[in-house]
Amino acid sequence: MLKLDHITKRYGALTALDDVSLNIAPGEFFGLLGPNGAGKTTLMSLVAGLRAPEAGGITLDGKPVTAADPSTRVSLGLVPQSIALYEDLSAEQNLRIFGELYGLRGADLRQRIDEALTAVQLADRRRDQVKTFSGGMQRRLNLVAALLHRPKLLLCDEPTVGIDPQSRNAIFDFLEARVRDGLTVIYSTHYMEEATRLCSRIGVIDHGKIHALGTLEELLARLPFQEEISFPASPLTAGLAARLAAHGEVTTGGDQHRFHPAPGFKNSAFYALTEELELSSRLFISERPTLEAVFLHLTGRSLRE
Amino acid sequence: MRIILTLLRKDFANFFRDRAAVSLTFLVPVALIYIFGQVFGLNRKDTGPTGVRLAVVNQSDNPAAQKLVDALKAEKSFRVLTNRVNPDKSERPLREEDLRPMIRNREFRFALVIPADVIASKGIGLHLKILSDPRNEIETQTVNGLLQKAIFSNVPQLLGQSLQAGAKKYLGGERLEQFNGAVAAAVTKAFGGDLDETKQALASGDFGLGAVADAATPGAAATPTDFFSRIVKIESEQVVGKDVKSPEATRVVGGWAMMFLLFALSASAAAFFDEKKAGLFQRLLSAPVRRSHILWSRFLYGVLLGLVQLTALFFAGRLLYGIDVLGNFGSLLVICTAAAAACTAFGMLLASIAPTAAAANGLATFLVLTMSATGGAWFPVSFMPEFMQTIARFTLVYWSMEGFSQVLWAGQSFLQILPTVGILLGIAAGVMAVAVWRFNRGPLFD
Ligand SMILES: Nc1ncnc2c1ncn2[C@@H]1O[C@H](COP(=O)(O)OP(=O)(O)O)[C@@H](O)[C@H]1O
Ligand SMILES: [Mg+2]
Repeated sequence: MLKLDHITKRYGALTALDDVSLNIAPGEFFGLLGPNGAGKTTLMSLVAGLRAPEAGGITLDGKPVTAADPSTRVSLGLVPQSIALYEDLSAEQNLRIFGELYGLRGADLRQRIDEALTAVQLADRRRDQVKTFSGGMQRRLNLVAALLHRPKLLLCDEPTVGIDPQSRNAIFDFLEARVRDGLTVIYSTHYMEEATRLCSRIGVIDHGKIHALGTLEELLARLPFQEEISFPASPLTAGLAARLAAHGEVTTGGDQHRFHPAPGFKNSAFYALTEELELSSRLFISERPTLEAVFLHLTGRSLRE
Repeated sequence: MRIILTLLRKDFANFFRDRAAVSLTFLVPVALIYIFGQVFGLNRKDTGPTGVRLAVVNQSDNPAAQKLVDALKAEKSFRVLTNRVNPDKSERPLREEDLRPMIRNREFRFALVIPADVIASKGIGLHLKILSDPRNEIETQTVNGLLQKAIFSNVPQLLGQSLQAGAKKYLGGERLEQFNGAVAAAVTKAFGGDLDETKQALASGDFGLGAVADAATPGAAATPTDFFSRIVKIESEQVVGKDVKSPEATRVVGGWAMMFLLFALSASAAAFFDEKKAGLFQRLLSAPVRRSHILWSRFLYGVLLGLVQLTALFFAGRLLYGIDVLGNFGSLLVICTAAAAACTAFGMLLASIAPTAAAANGLATFLVLTMSATGGAWFPVSFMPEFMQTIARFTLVYWSMEGFSQVLWAGQSFLQILPTVGILLGIAAGVMAVAVWRFNRGPLFD
């Protein structure tokens, strides 16, 4: 449905997107995971036709996306990273303006506004000025304002920054329901939890490059380990660390040993070893790997910085 | 077009939600126009200063001179001082040599000396001395004017004496005697009265003007000043604007309104920066909206708002000062539209070149004040030095004021104002072209 073909975008000397290629299929919930400055917003703005790339091309349903031609815009909706609403106007007035810009009128527009406000639990505040809304309410309105014209593709640029957990969950539920109805979503975030929970496919982006692309499982499989078992580094556990080295990788940081078992190593074998060495199971913390670890592994950087 | 209309409606909805903006656009200017009007005395029947301290030294024993002093005392513009208070609180009449030090001491700024030879020995006229400290030029001019008016309207007799003295010099005493005799004879023959008395009165310079005034029956046109000015033949004729009901206000209110319009429109252009900051341009441009839609809807908004504001302020001028707004209303609307277009373009240019809202506001304040001052919004351009008058012609304020005065002052027709309208629209088009070009390369839509 959406195809980015060797896209490069520069701001002066800075290369914000560096030879990015991407294919989004209809119905995907695609996550764009990367820290601040990775190039997520830039990618969204190119797809939305707000900017033109220096190199490469973008097509939406086979039609080229250009800054000059607004015809592809009706099939997509953009939820800007900032709260892009007229805060002196009411929720309803905002939606009416955005709907009209897409050519919606009359009873149809009214009905869509009703539905939208109900869907994000703002129906009872429809006549209030947006500036009186909480951050979470504004975010919900910001989201739903991009959907009035029922686009096929929704671009969500970090739509949950700085909001309360209820609003965040409301947004998640709302988006998941829309995707079940057939909407395609590109969702950018620097929260790995969000990408983990929501996205059917994830692109890991940093410094304008897509470092990895795949489902959560595929990305996790790129790690040289599936699991991490950590335990205190002490004379008591020295023997265990030595014996484990044969079954995977043992790293020591601070006063902790970290064991990443080689593929095929069974947990039962691990427990057999600890029993043999008479070590209490309370010493061990076992963790499944996360996207955080994937990001660290791919870029050598942490997501949160 | 639909998109532009939607955006336009949005701008107006936004505007009317913002009470501060509404009051800054309408109420504050009306209040200020009212205050300015009071300061400049637009509403007073007899404009001019009140209670200006005026020292008077009368060295003449001519009874008419004393009448002049009394007349000045009666004039409410002046507070006449004739005595000097000594340190021991005793008073004595002022002398001429007191005046200069006292003026230097700032005890008063104006003094009138009526010399012993008040009636000029040469030519016809009066000999009076006015001493002043012209600290304030406008005040000085006004006071001099008032003094003349007082002399003129209250003491025709003095000038009558001057006439007699002049006549004596040219005709010789004997022939003047004959002349007076002849006039007196003619007067008594026509109106009755005692021949000798009339002759006497004529010789003392009393043309009976006071009597004319006293005897004036209701409806009689002759008043002393009136009669007198016919003798002296000072003619002044106002050719343009004779019928304008409130000339002062008509001249100045347009200038003030222009200044407020410029302020309002640069504020609305600065609002661009708020929209940018909120990411609204991203939202709009990701819809089937072009940059040109945004720019032209904003331009249209500015023109309409400006037109409404100007019209409202002129109606305020009508309410406060009786400006004749309706007499030439169609043409007024045309010129207001052109002025609003030029001002809007100016505001858009500011927004397109300023890097931030704060910079736009600062630049706007500077330019609006400079342009209003040089363009004649505060002070008539014709009073300025010549090079300033040339500069003034490069400001949109000048041409707007020109248009207002053509419409409200000279009552010109639509065809006659077309050149001015053309210049204003030309300014609007030129400035807008630069603004659009800047917008398309600048960071606003980035
Ligand atoms: N308008 C711009 N002008 C110059 N540099 C920009 C502009 N927008 C973004 N950048 C830079 O491009 C890089 C990518 O930015 P962005 O796409 O906003 O990243 P993200 O959305 O992932 O935080 C950053 O280094 C940012 O500073
Ligand atoms: Mg971003």
